[in-house]
Amino acid sequence: MDSAKPAHPSPRQYVTIAGILVVLTALEVSLFYLNIGGINTPALIVLMLLKFTLVVAFYMHLRYESGFLRRLFAAGLAVASVLYFIVLATFYSRG
Amino acid sequence: MTAHTETSTGIDTRKLGMWAFLSSEALFFGALITNYLLFKGRDLQGIHPRELLNIPFTSVSSFVLLMSSLTMVLAHAALTRDNQRAARGWLLATAALGATFVGGQVYEFSNFYKEGMTLSTNPASSSFFVLTGFHGAHVTIGVLLLLSLVGLSFRRGGLTFEHGLNLELVGLYWHFVDIVWIVIFTVVYLIR
Amino acid sequence: MTPIATGGVLRRRIPATGFWSWVTTVDHKRIAKLYGYTGFIFFIVGGLEALLIRLQLARPENAFITPAEYNSLFTMHGTTMIFLVVMPLAAAFMNYLLPLMLGARDVAFPRLNALGYWFFLGGGIVLYSSYILATAGAPAGGFLPETISRLGSAANGGWFMYPPNSGAQFSPGSVIDFWLVGIALAGVGSLVSSVNLLTTIFNLRAPGMSLMKMPVFAWMSMVVNFLLLFSIPIITVAIFMLIFDRQFGTAFFEASGGGDPVLYQHLFWLFGHPEVYILILPAMGIVSEVLPVFSRKPLFGYAAVVFAGIAIGFLGFGVWAHHMFASGIGPITQAAFGLSTMTIAIPTGVKVFNWIATMWGGKLRFTAPMLFAIGFVAMFTIGGLSGVTHSIVPADWQQTDTYYVVAHFHYVLFGGSMFGIFAGLYYWFPKLTGRMYRERLAKYHFWLMFIGFNMTFGPMHYLGLMGMARRTYTYPAGIGLEFWNMISTIGAFLIASSVLLFMANWINSRRRGAPAPIDPWDARTLEWSIPSPPPEYNFGEVPTVRSLDDFWHQKYDEDDLGRVTRRPDADAHIAELTEKHLHPEHRPHLPSPSAFPPLAGLSALGFAFGLLYHATPVGLGLIALGVVGLFASFLSWAREPLEENA
Repeated sequence: MDSAKPAHPSPRQYVTIAGILVVLTALEVSLFYLNIGGINTPALIVLMLLKFTLVVAFYMHLRYESGFLRRLFAAGLAVASVLYFIVLATFYSRG
Repeated sequence: MTAHTETSTGIDTRKLGMWAFLSSEALFFGALITNYLLFKGRDLQGIHPRELLNIPFTSVSSFVLLMSSLTMVLAHAALTRDNQRAARGWLLATAALGATFVGGQVYEFSNFYKEGMTLSTNPASSSFFVLTGFHGAHVTIGVLLLLSLVGLSFRRGGLTFEHGLNLELVGLYWHFVDIVWIVIFTVVYLIR
Repeated sequence: MTPIATGGVLRRRIPATGFWSWVTTVDHKRIAKLYGYTGFIFFIVGGLEALLIRLQLARPENAFITPAEYNSLFTMHGTTMIFLVVMPLAAAFMNYLLPLMLGARDVAFPRLNALGYWFFLGGGIVLYSSYILATAGAPAGGFLPETISRLGSAANGGWFMYPPNSGAQFSPGSVIDFWLVGIALAGVGSLVSSVNLLTTIFNLRAPGMSLMKMPVFAWMSMVVNFLLLFSIPIITVAIFMLIFDRQFGTAFFEASGGGDPVLYQHLFWLFGHPEVYILILPAMGIVSEVLPVFSRKPLFGYAAVVFAGIAIGFLGFGVWAHHMFASGIGPITQAAFGLSTMTIAIPTGVKVFNWIATMWGGKLRFTAPMLFAIGFVAMFTIGGLSGVTHSIVPADWQQTDTYYVVAHFHYVLFGGSMFGIFAGLYYWFPKLTGRMYRERLAKYHFWLMFIGFNMTFGPMHYLGLMGMARRTYTYPAGIGLEFWNMISTIGAFLIASSVLLFMANWINSRRRGAPAPIDPWDARTLEWSIPSPPPEYNFGEVPTVRSLDDFWHQKYDEDDLGRVTRRPDADAHIAELTEKHLHPEHRPHLPSPSAFPPLAGLSALGFAFGLLYHATPVGLGLIALGVVGLFASFLSWAREPLEENA
């Protein structure tokens, strides 16, 4: 590859991560059916973010890549999150 | 310009380009998700998505797409060990799982149409179809990319180092499409 | 010296010059020229549209142009100048200069670079074909006549295309769709280009050139390309949603269907505001290169100028709703965006002060590039001041949709961006062509343009505050608007005349200008260290960079008091450099020309027209052909090696 050869998870570790992803998904679906009130939505979001992070960090290899790539991807996520949050906020604060 | 020359950041040039592109896709899908969040309650008339969403069915397709990410990294791992046949096999598996996902979406959408929820029924349904539709289009393009890699693997010499990089890049695109679905599944299907 | 065969499936030899060499080129310098000449042709077309507008407005209640035609003219004028002139001209500069300034042989993705151009051209073709092909269909019983002339059949909803006016009910014809598809296609071209240029800036710098040793133009280009990367996807979504509203019966932006037209405004301006910084930052970068050279002083506060540029880009994402103060967004939103808009004045002011400080105490040479650069600083400041008055919400309520706003944005876009572009065109002319332009003629161009520009747009501040409305084909007599409108129209024709002077200078001097040395201005940055015009591979030997303005330090020593003395071996050094670059020891490998970017562009163009005619069999056929063509082009592209021996 290029200058620093990054480490790779092994196939076994990939399968383990897949297993965790399945468990997290099962938890999410359970939360949907249990519907335990106000905590439901934040809990679902947390689970979603965990799955997101696992795939990005390990399957997309970002954990092992240069910090520059992490910041590049994070920049897009950050800009999107902030901008669209503000857009939604303007609709909900109409008045 | 290729991985052979030194780059100022130490990062492979094509990998850097792909990550820049994926970063921009956050803005694309973010707009569509925002659109959905804004309109999901706007169903003055006609049937609305919440009535029709089939959680068991979609849970299975989510599982399918997650597994396709696994087969994708296994394809890459196989290629780094220069196991051409295993790599090709895992690539085909990924494409098959992706196609299954798209098939599931098509089935789900045609059911919705039969129940009277179409693209133009109300803003809630419109934003649902546009969001999931664009995601499905991205998956479809991904399947074509995967099949192209499989096709390239039949050339003399199989998937070379250069192609290995292409596989990694296709993998990044594929996983991205998966993480967008992770967000859509939670935000659209699971959050009431 | 050129590798003269395209690769892969369409392998064939092509000559190094001539039509096909341009079609299949992947050389960043040629792609830059394609962007530049195409952009300039659109500048003339957009200018003609402006002249027609000004002729109509020269007198009150004029009937030179019908209302329907007027709607097309101002829409196309704005759309053209923004998407088809300033953006491609900026792309021309970035494409030509970035590898040269960074010490690279080409950009990161030469074929992707070419693709960006072909998509831009395709978008422009789709947009302009509306004059010939589109139907303007006015709603029944409305103000506009049922049949509208060709001149009124181009896109006519304003360059921002707000629904519900641009929706299916009020724009039942096809003109809006031509705009939507054309801009979407051009937008993809810009996105692709931004990925390429960002990667180039980050990855292809010469050894030793850290980011803080890059020229300011390279920094501004980096910010511009980040802005493009993040804003183009947003307008793409807005365009798709409007297309769906128009064609597929959705109601995203139709209140009667449960939708909200204000959502479109948000999505559009989330793109549209970063877009205006995309339009101005390249010119700011150019001016930051020109002013130091003709002041014989380094740029004052390099780091401050760089960080101010980054801040402008960053803050530029946080002000978009100031275009919506009159759209009913509510006082909290208005207050927040009014404040954020005011903060942008800070980094902008930092840059202006630094440019002035660069000139202060310097040995000024008033060449044409310098005149345009100083003109930029002055005119842009005026435009910035009127812009800041918009940030005060109640004041904006008076100003919005009047000619005051038209004055503001023409001061920043013409007095700013175009003046900066002209500064750059003259400044780099010797590098591009190996010849000098005619200095006296260039000065006439500047003064005629400067006077004409201020005559045209200065009075618009007054006209707007007196109540003259934008985007309206005429104004009433007897309310005091006649005199300055006439002045403004005369000014527009002065501008046009000055452009003719520029064109004459350019065309004549390209072949018959005095031969230029490689460093005619005694400049500071790396592109001046290679022959004029540069060899195809740019650098015979890739330079190693030791400092900011490295080329300058190869020629000059500075003592502790900052006094500069020319090194005795400077001339010999330059001669040696020229020799090394013209006759390198090993011929550098270059990417081969490729047929696949233009083929992909052609496929995309076919697909675009197919979409516009999707209700016909021909349209469906074009869609299918376009998809197949795109797929085949990209697949062949992937199989074609980047470099192939002839």
